[in-house]
Amino acid sequence: MRALLAVRPTTVASRALVIGLIALCGFGVLRVAEGALIPAKAVVAQWLLEQTFDRSSIDRQPRKPWPWADMAPVARLTMPRLRTDRIVLDSGSGQAMAFGPTLLPGASAPGQPGTTVIAAHRDTHFRFLAHVRIGDRLTLTDLDGVVRAYRVVGTQIVRWDQFALSTNDAHQSLALTTCYPFDAQQAGPLRYVVTARLITETARQHAD
Amino acid sequence: MSVSTNYVPRPVQRHYAHVWVLVLAMICIACNSARAQENAANAGTSPPNDYSRGTLVLANNGVAESIPAMRLGTDMDVSVSGTVARIRVTQAFRNTSAHWMAGRYLYPLPDDGAVDSLKMVVGNRVIMGRIERREQARAIYEQAAAKGRKAGLVEQQRPNLFSSSVANVGPGQTVLIAIEYQAPVRQVDGIHSIRLPLVAAPRYVAPHTLDSSAAVNDAHAVTTPVLNPTLGQSINPVSITVHLDPGFVPMDIQSPDHTIAMDGTAQQRTIRLADGETPANRDFVLRWRSAAMEPAVGVFSQRLHGQDYIMATIAPPAPVADTPVPPRDMIFVIDNSGSMGGASMRQAKASLLYALDTLRPVDRFNIIRFDDTTTQLFQQSVAATAEELNVARRFIRELEADGGTEMLPALHLALEDASNDDDQRVRQVVFLTDGAISNEAEMLATLGRDGGRSRVFPVGIGSAPNQYLMTRMAMLGRGTYTNVGSVDQVESQMTQLLETLRRPAVRNLSIAASDPSLELTPNRLPDLYAGQPLTVLGRTDKRHGTLTVTGLVGERRWSKTVDLDAAGASPAVAKLWARRRITDIEADRTLGQMDSEEADTQIADIGLRYTLVTSQTSLVAVDDTVSRPADAPLTRADLPIELPAGWDFDALFGQQARGGSNSNAQAPDMGRIAQAKAFELPQTATNFATTIRWGLLMCLIGALGLIGVRRSRSAN
Repeated sequence: MRALLAVRPTTVASRALVIGLIALCGFGVLRVAEGALIPAKAVVAQWLLEQTFDRSSIDRQPRKPWPWADMAPVARLTMPRLRTDRIVLDSGSGQAMAFGPTLLPGASAPGQPGTTVIAAHRDTHFRFLAHVRIGDRLTLTDLDGVVRAYRVVGTQIVRWDQFALSTNDAHQSLALTTCYPFDAQQAGPLRYVVTARLITETARQHAD
Repeated sequence: MSVSTNYVPRPVQRHYAHVWVLVLAMICIACNSARAQENAANAGTSPPNDYSRGTLVLANNGVAESIPAMRLGTDMDVSVSGTVARIRVTQAFRNTSAHWMAGRYLYPLPDDGAVDSLKMVVGNRVIMGRIERREQARAIYEQAAAKGRKAGLVEQQRPNLFSSSVANVGPGQTVLIAIEYQAPVRQVDGIHSIRLPLVAAPRYVAPHTLDSSAAVNDAHAVTTPVLNPTLGQSINPVSITVHLDPGFVPMDIQSPDHTIAMDGTAQQRTIRLADGETPANRDFVLRWRSAAMEPAVGVFSQRLHGQDYIMATIAPPAPVADTPVPPRDMIFVIDNSGSMGGASMRQAKASLLYALDTLRPVDRFNIIRFDDTTTQLFQQSVAATAEELNVARRFIRELEADGGTEMLPALHLALEDASNDDDQRVRQVVFLTDGAISNEAEMLATLGRDGGRSRVFPVGIGSAPNQYLMTRMAMLGRGTYTNVGSVDQVESQMTQLLETLRRPAVRNLSIAASDPSLELTPNRLPDLYAGQPLTVLGRTDKRHGTLTVTGLVGERRWSKTVDLDAAGASPAVAKLWARRRITDIEADRTLGQMDSEEADTQIADIGLRYTLVTSQTSLVAVDDTVSRPADAPLTRADLPIELPAGWDFDALFGQQARGGSNSNAQAPDMGRIAQAKAFELPQTATNFATTIRWGLLMCLIGALGLIGVRRSRSAN
């Protein structure tokens, strides 16, 4: 490289360098914008979804938050101790997860025996899982207004392909899953799973 | 730029070079990071819309509701000479049916035992087994089974769990499978003991470990039907004979759980079961002590394949009586899963209540209980005041055995150390369990990684605890392992453990050999407790020189030197060395210090070289003559095991299993420990912070580059 420059340090080379550097700056700015858009989208989407969820729970019909959406809000997940409130979506697709936690297909639906599994990003909606402790209370409210309270019974770290659900558990459980470690720089094979067991189920307080 | 083509001022040249190198490096890093992210994402994402992979059901983990057609009788013949026991186990497979049969029996052996010989006896012919790689041995066995030849196969399923398979036993025929192994004699506080495990406890398979077909096969391999105890018949009677020649006059020979009869001379005793036979539902333990006060310390050696093997036993110093006991942080973890039902739960509760009585107000404590859920009594450790102790006692009394065994979350909680900067306090974790789990590797990896300053003291509860898990937990956790076999042993065993915990141990042990080529094992040295000697094994080309062990007793330096030239001969040392070496390799693998394939290769090499059954090598014996007629089909069966003594059948398998008298061996609610569905967890990280960070770094480097170019221009 040095030899190359020594022989022909033309203006062409230096101009190319300057253009390259400017391009690098520009690319960097784009990356920053791209990165910053993710949490912004996550927050705004949750706000929109909340409106939709409230409207949906009046006539108990799932509704799309915006016309081109391919998912709908189906439940509200709260954790009183951490003052966390999230609207849960019905689709387990990666796109939907940008806007909120999603129910994973293949697991039980809320209210059914077995385990309901909800996944969300570890650096946006499920960041709070890092602070969840055993014994914490979680609630899940569905479109029918049924409030299910769960108590956290355990947390575990598993590989993405080493998790299993009991197929004959009559009890209702809730598993919240996200990537682990929480402050990782890259995507990895580990997942953090918070397991909670149903303690009470309360029907809609004020009947309509 | 006004630089001529022939002349470039050096500083400018260097400036450009730096900028270019930076830019290129930047691009390389960016590319690499993008690729790494992609790779990681690929490794982490599941195929779209394919989160579940069908239901996996363990068909074997059931209840045998009828007396099996293939019957088994076991004879154990033990020769103790010096500090090593050699055990011959003869299993007689008797076919009481009218069909040609193949059977498999799952049985435990001591985790430090080394199986090195297999003989199959058919009629009056003896067929010697040979050591082969595991897959090859299985292929040879299967081929012989298909061809109608009698065949025997001994495989290791876990370091303490083996299986014998025998094929083509004709109607009314009996085939004998005789294996031999040796194990070191345990010495604690001058008491010598051997333990012959007679029953493999039914294991809980954690659902999340059933991740692949390989894992399901492995789970099958370590689970076997349990005989419904209402059938009342002992299916595997065992007879035991021990020839005791410890090299000194043994005193106080006793077996805590079995009645024994003795004869022979004072120096050489022969011990038998008083009743002749015992059901295989409880481990046999034999203890004796030396008439002399001085513990038998010794060095033994063996020359094999041109190399010297040595075994040295080093006793720690006697404790100074009035050393003050430092304040402690004690975490008690108690297993109240279904497998603990019955006597085990009572023993565990009694042990824990006893331990609480020994706490002083300066000590802190906490209690964690687990089944498939986990509860911590206090948010963090509290001072052991009368009030808090009463809360704890009430908590313990209310515990009932139920549910699965998810030990890992409890271990995580127990190792969470809020005050890890507190040097004054000793942090001790006492773990009471029967260890009836199959995800041992996960437990040990966690302990190895997160152990910190905590010392872990597993207490094995019940008549058939998982010795392998317990001893490995003690080793990685630098504690000791205690076994409580029955309720009446609680006080004596717990007193001994709690006394051990109080006494100053030798810490920070290290070993130095004057011969640098001496390969020593274990490579992870535990803390030493009073009365618990350390056994070191080594290998070298030519034994010479000395071995020096150094450590700290309190704040004082302590050391002991052993002369290797004074070693006595023993034919057992090389195989014990090999077995211990495998244990070290497994530990390296567990802790991620050796990759799995490399570990398998090394273990296979050791197995083949020293003729040992290992995870990678098996012993197989095949009869030359074809005995089964080509038109007679072969029926395969897993021989059921008896429920370990003191286990509560109802707590383990549920009420319906007992009531179910039909031929359906798979009781309906067995599923709690048997059924699970693999479930893949999606990739869930936007990594926006990383994206932003990279963006900022690119801007920064671009800007710095531009400044660099500007400076170098103005320099011209």
